[in-house]
Amino acid sequence: MADPKHNPDLHPLADIDQVVHAPARLMVLTYLYVVESADYVFLMRLTGLTWGNLSTHLSRLEEAGYVEILKEFRGKKPHSTIRLTPQGREAFREYKKSMQQVLDDLPD
Amino acid sequence: MSESISLKEAERRAFRSTFDDGLWDVFLGFFFLMFAFAPILSVYLGDFWSSAVFLPVWILVYLAILCIRKRIVKPRMGVAKYGRSRQVKMKRFTVIMLVINTILFLLGLYAAANFRAMPGWTVAVVLGLMLLMGFSLSAYFLDFNRLYLYGLLAGFAPLVGEWLFLNKGASHHGYPIVFGFMAVFMVVVGLVVFLRLLRENPLPEEEISQEEP
Repeated sequence: MADPKHNPDLHPLADIDQVVHAPARLMVLTYLYVVESADYVFLMRLTGLTWGNLSTHLSRLEEAGYVEILKEFRGKKPHSTIRLTPQGREAFREYKKSMQQVLDDLPD
Repeated sequence: MSESISLKEAERRAFRSTFDDGLWDVFLGFFFLMFAFAPILSVYLGDFWSSAVFLPVWILVYLAILCIRKRIVKPRMGVAKYGRSRQVKMKRFTVIMLVINTILFLLGLYAAANFRAMPGWTVAVVLGLMLLMGFSLSAYFLDFNRLYLYGLLAGFAPLVGEWLFLNKGASHHGYPIVFGFMAVFMVVVGLVVFLRLLRENPLPEEEISQEEP
């Protein structure tokens, strides 16, 4: 694969955040971006991810500091609420801007 | 990916997915039952009690809906807190509905005082327009497209009722027939949506058997 840094038009692609770029994580971040917070079931249902997959991706996002997972008990059941951190919100915005910049300029 | 990514659409989808469970259709259906039966009951109970008697029914249905949402819907659909733009939209919706309901209430008072003097078509047109407006605004603010259909049905219902009354001899301006039909239609639609939701969204096993990571 050619180094995008050789082509100034593709520079933004080189800076794409790989944590955000993965399709499953991008879906999760998109939904978290438009709501204030959501729980596991809500995200599973809207993204179509399995419980295990979602957990893996959320752990990755949490490691990157893009989401925070608040754990609590509702009665006897554990319940987690997930929300974007300001850093995650900024990363998503930046990703959107970079992708738009590249894709908008591509010829049809 | 064939669909374009639209944040607005994602937000709308997220909101509708928790709102559109069919239970509000059932509640509205019970609301229209009053329109259907109150004219018949007014002969026995008088104008006030024929409507007031439905209040406990609404409260019971409302409480049942809250309970079903908590115990059955939320574990399947999940919970989300919506963003600022949606909260602002909901506040605007509340204010507008408050204004509409106040106007409806004042019109109702006026109609109750002058009912016999008002031509049936006037009552039908005003009621139809108010119902159409109320449903359409609700559909717009809640992104709940089915309410447009209900708005059209509710808007035409008093006119059809009046026509049935004048041409086919239907009693009580045809309200028991047209609003009874609406009530049954909404309850059936609501139940179908609700049952489909249950079928398509079984309880996640992990919710019961596993602790979240």
